[in-house]
Amino acid sequence: MLTKADKWLVVVLVTLALVGIGLNIYYISEQSSQAQTVVISVDGQITKTFPLRQGYVGEFRIDGHNGFNVVEYKDGRVHMKESDCPDQICVQSGWISTPPQQIVCLPYRVVIKVVSDNPADVDDIVR
Amino acid sequence: MVKTKRLVVLALLVAMASALHVLENQLPIPVPVPGVKLGLANIISLLAILMLGWRDAVYVAIARVFLGSLFGGSLLGPAFVMSMGGALASIFIMVHICNNYQGVFSLAGVSLIGAAVHNITQVSLAAVLVHSLGLLWYVPYLLIFAIPTGLFTGLAADYCFAKAPTKYGFKN
Repeated sequence: MLTKADKWLVVVLVTLALVGIGLNIYYISEQSSQAQTVVISVDGQITKTFPLRQGYVGEFRIDGHNGFNVVEYKDGRVHMKESDCPDQICVQSGWISTPPQQIVCLPYRVVIKVVSDNPADVDDIVR
Repeated sequence: MVKTKRLVVLALLVAMASALHVLENQLPIPVPVPGVKLGLANIISLLAILMLGWRDAVYVAIARVFLGSLFGGSLLGPAFVMSMGGALASIFIMVHICNNYQGVFSLAGVSLIGAAVHNITQVSLAAVLVHSLGLLWYVPYLLIFAIPTGLFTGLAADYCFAKAPTKYGFKN
């Protein structure tokens, strides 16, 4: 049924995917200790930024060309609460809280991104 | 293959592929990664490559994406661009593998490569559409799920082709 090349292919793909996931998780844990900002862009243009902190609670609405998205933030996390887009992938993406996590609503070109406040190339500053 | 028969087989394949494309959008997949799909329409693409050759397989893929998006209501939207890009990239890769590496990869392997290329193309297109390179982090998560689904569609196509009755001339 499966040839030898098939099995190698599976091994190679699994390895690639696991390495990618590992890198991603490493990248997330590296950045999660810093203060975070949420950047929301529509059509590639940044429309709103706000800090993500414990105790900041609220929600707001983004009205696009043909629909709406409702973004809610709470306890240092942010999610897409509601949207009238056809696929609802943004709503199903759930809560995000650490860079470089992001929620994308492709039909309305809305991207919610979590970024670190500090540039990542400085390890630490000692005074 | 006789001209009329080719036309009938093409029409059948396009109809089945479009139906599967629509059905697949309605199926909820219980995984934590949004956007994972079974790729059922890929079974028909594989069958088209085997039965009719590469040119007709590409026709079937294009017609399937058009009709499937029309039925699903996403025609010419961003989801359509992603479907079309993914379908075209995967069908060309699968045709290339089928023609040049016959015997090296089984149908399951060909389907697996197709599924991986399909996912990578779709995420790349999405990254371009929303101007966000960070979306490429999503590729490994999709690849993990592309492996079982790709093998599944490949094996399904294999069984389907093996059971196709010879008397109706499905095997040329």
